[in-house]
Amino acid sequence: MQKILAEFENSQKELIHVLHCVQAKFGYIPPEAISEISRHLKITESEIYGILTFYAAFSLEPRGKHRVTVCMGTACHVRGGPKVLEEFERRLGIEAGHTTRDKQFTLETVACLGCCAIGPVVVVDDDYHAEATIRKVEPILEKYKKEKKNDQD
Amino acid sequence: MKVIIDGKTIEAEENKTILELARENGIYIPSLCDHPGLAPFSGCRLCLVQIKGKKGYSPSCSIYIEDGMEVKTSTQQLRKLRKNILELILTEHPNACLMCAEKKECDEYKATIRKVGEVTGCVLCPNNGDCELQEIVEEIGVDIVDFPSYYRDLEVKRDDPFFDRNYNLCILCGRCVRICHEVRGCSTLSFVKRGPETVVSTSMDQRLIDSNCQFCGACMDVCPTGALIEKGRKYESLADDKTEMLCPLCSVGCRLEVNLGEGRLLNTRPAADGPANHGQACVKGRFLIKDLVYIEKRIEKPLIRREKKLEEVGWDEALDWVAGKLKKYKGKETAVIRSAQVSCEDGYVLRKFADEVLKTGNISSEPAFSSYRELAQKLGFMPALNYKIEEISSAETIFLLSSNISVSHPIVWLEIVKAVKNGARLIAAGPMELQFDRFVSLQLRIEPGTENILLGSLQKILTGGESFKAAKESKVAENALREAAEILKSSKSPAFIFGSESIQGPVGMEVLTALWNIALLSKGRLYHLGLESNSRGIFELDRSFNKKSRQTGLIIQDIIDNKVKALYLAGSRIELPKKARPEFLIIQDSYVSKNTEIADAVLPAAVSAEAEGVFVNMEGRVQKSGKVLEPPGKTKPDWWITSQAAKRMGAEAFDYKKPSSIIKEIRNKLPGFANVTYPALEKSKEIFIKEETPQKGKLFTQKIISLPEGNNKRYPFRLVLFYNLDFYRNLSLSEAVRGFRIFRNSQWIHICLEDADKLKLKNGDSIEVLSPHGKTKVIVRITKTVSPGIVAASPEYPIFNNTASSNVLKVMIKRGK
Repeated sequence: MQKILAEFENSQKELIHVLHCVQAKFGYIPPEAISEISRHLKITESEIYGILTFYAAFSLEPRGKHRVTVCMGTACHVRGGPKVLEEFERRLGIEAGHTTRDKQFTLETVACLGCCAIGPVVVVDDDYHAEATIRKVEPILEKYKKEKKNDQD
Repeated sequence: MKVIIDGKTIEAEENKTILELARENGIYIPSLCDHPGLAPFSGCRLCLVQIKGKKGYSPSCSIYIEDGMEVKTSTQQLRKLRKNILELILTEHPNACLMCAEKKECDEYKATIRKVGEVTGCVLCPNNGDCELQEIVEEIGVDIVDFPSYYRDLEVKRDDPFFDRNYNLCILCGRCVRICHEVRGCSTLSFVKRGPETVVSTSMDQRLIDSNCQFCGACMDVCPTGALIEKGRKYESLADDKTEMLCPLCSVGCRLEVNLGEGRLLNTRPAADGPANHGQACVKGRFLIKDLVYIEKRIEKPLIRREKKLEEVGWDEALDWVAGKLKKYKGKETAVIRSAQVSCEDGYVLRKFADEVLKTGNISSEPAFSSYRELAQKLGFMPALNYKIEEISSAETIFLLSSNISVSHPIVWLEIVKAVKNGARLIAAGPMELQFDRFVSLQLRIEPGTENILLGSLQKILTGGESFKAAKESKVAENALREAAEILKSSKSPAFIFGSESIQGPVGMEVLTALWNIALLSKGRLYHLGLESNSRGIFELDRSFNKKSRQTGLIIQDIIDNKVKALYLAGSRIELPKKARPEFLIIQDSYVSKNTEIADAVLPAAVSAEAEGVFVNMEGRVQKSGKVLEPPGKTKPDWWITSQAAKRMGAEAFDYKKPSSIIKEIRNKLPGFANVTYPALEKSKEIFIKEETPQKGKLFTQKIISLPEGNNKRYPFRLVLFYNLDFYRNLSLSEAVRGFRIFRNSQWIHICLEDADKLKLKNGDSIEVLSPHGKTKVIVRITKTVSPGIVAASPEYPIFNNTASSNVLKVMIKRGK
């Protein structure tokens, strides 16, 4: 943490950069980091908190190994996006924006991915899964769970 | 320049927004987010106007006027637009009651039900009838909201002292966030999350008490809805009368607006036109005044001790009895200790009583100014003491020798924040760090008690000398000192702000001399923060008497030595040590305390809200505090009690009918009070103590004194004393008010995390502090502002005058049982 901060000036202009670096290093912004950033950049903790809750890029919870993003854009929405999301939430046992307890999956939503023609779209890590339905949710998850097993073997 | 608003040509000055100009001229433009003292925000969009030659609609709160501008504020289009916008605002605010056709009848027949968990309409809201949103809905006239309503269903936050937060009623105008950031420099609140989920919250959504909130209440005063609810007035009726009083709790002298309902004090708010406070206050003035009046510890009847018991009696009996007993003592055997929280009238009568009736020189002096008296003797004239707090905000450089200023004098701190935001450099010197250290540009952290060494070294650098032996002792790096000197040299008229604690004690005089020298060298100005609400007034009054007053500590030593046998204790917070038990003890005060338990006579005095009186604040500004309430029971103002006692002892010149006649006597006697009359004080807010014409200053040789090293092994910690001034007369604010105790307790001892870990202490632990002078029980408070080896505490009464003390003590810490 101190190493990251040492690279930046004591100026509040640096806040977004610092947050990006912390996020890259830890995978999330640990709450304890806020007070250290606050002291270094001379901004109060609540101002930092306000900013990091504003941007979707920052997370206060550790992220999972796999990032599942369900599109909620207009086209995906009308083609059943919300139902797909609901199914993910049910299967993973978490709400959108959170991470499973075993730290494997983080579930997120996005407003539009620009590939409306193949909606509803689900993106896991960097793989796009087109025309998702409730039935396709389980196989998608299984695929990444398997990967985990293969890794362990 | 000329501006035309709604066809009316208005002559206006520059630097005003359209909204400001319209308001000044009685033209109504609705607005929910704009507030005087805050930067334009254009968040609510209700203040839209049409400007000729400009496309569309412009928010009048953030557009500054230009010559020849033509503005329309109330076209049909605008009215429709505003109505629409207001409807959108109301979708997120419970609005059934606002639209209800039976609204008027409801008010008449149904009292507000405020003890509810959820506020789903105005009738359930504690702010019903005192709400800006209600007023604007009334003005714009919304009778139906065409959009679906959205209730956020957030949990009401009730676990903070002084106020609750119900963000279901919040309309996100941002006034609270902005005042916290822009004016208070605290930035406790901020907008959290985004889009429809946006709420106002603290870091990590913690409670305010766990955040850096100072509970100044500024957020509540600017909130246009009922989202922030004062606990103390939740179940009170609406105000039917408003008046003003002066806050008696520190030397700033904030003017407070008092809301009264059916003769009861409902709450106090900072008065917008207060000359010292400009619409701001602190936790004490905002939330504690009501407790001072209605606390059950008030004494309401005179008491005298008969056969070992305190008995309630009438005034005549009590005063005759006291007078009879007091007559038996010789002048030297009597003493008067008085508080500086009483008005000039009270203080003057007490002094006159000691001088002319008791004929004793044993009257307590005002500790805040003791070093000034010495300096004046050396100089041959009294240095200028008057200033205006608002000057500080325009200073280029501020040298601060009071690390506790944001707590002891928050209103002065606001001016420093303003100055820093304007680009001023803040040099903070002292053994502790400032709580808001992000405003500091140069921190000179010194060893406790070495202020005079630091300043001495600084003076040497400023005069071109070289000597860093001294700097080493205070452990300030040479280059930091040089930097400070450079900053001081390069700036025009730096402001030197220092608390009373630094100019008291054994080295106090040397610190003041050094400050005087440095200020002279850098063409700066001294700003002395007084202690109590009338410290300056009492000091000025005392200068008119020939006999010298004495330090409280010396008087107490005389009691221990049995030289003083009868003590008249008026409004003083001082706690008599066990050894100091006078034969005859009279207490003229408002609350039950440890002293009243051992008193022989207790004379109940009115508190400042219940008596008229003149106070002089730290600026030298003379202000009158009005009588807001009737005194309860048989309580009487101090001046009345003392003068009655004097009369019964046979004195003649104590025939005062009202306080203004005392002021008249003071005015005739003291040139400093020449302008002070009641009618003048009511008319003008700018009446100051008249000072002697200042003479040319000269430099003094300053002695550099190192405090003797004590036994470090036995007493490994150094205790730094600072003042929070959390007391009123003989009442401890943190003992008396639970909410305040949670926020700030006078029994706290501040210790750093490292030391606490070493001693295995955690927040809230009860420990014992032992010094060569005795021991006390205190409560652990872990902070970042002290360094290892140093602990800090705030005693409730200025104790430096006690014979063997300075502002640094060597202590040992022991775990309590």
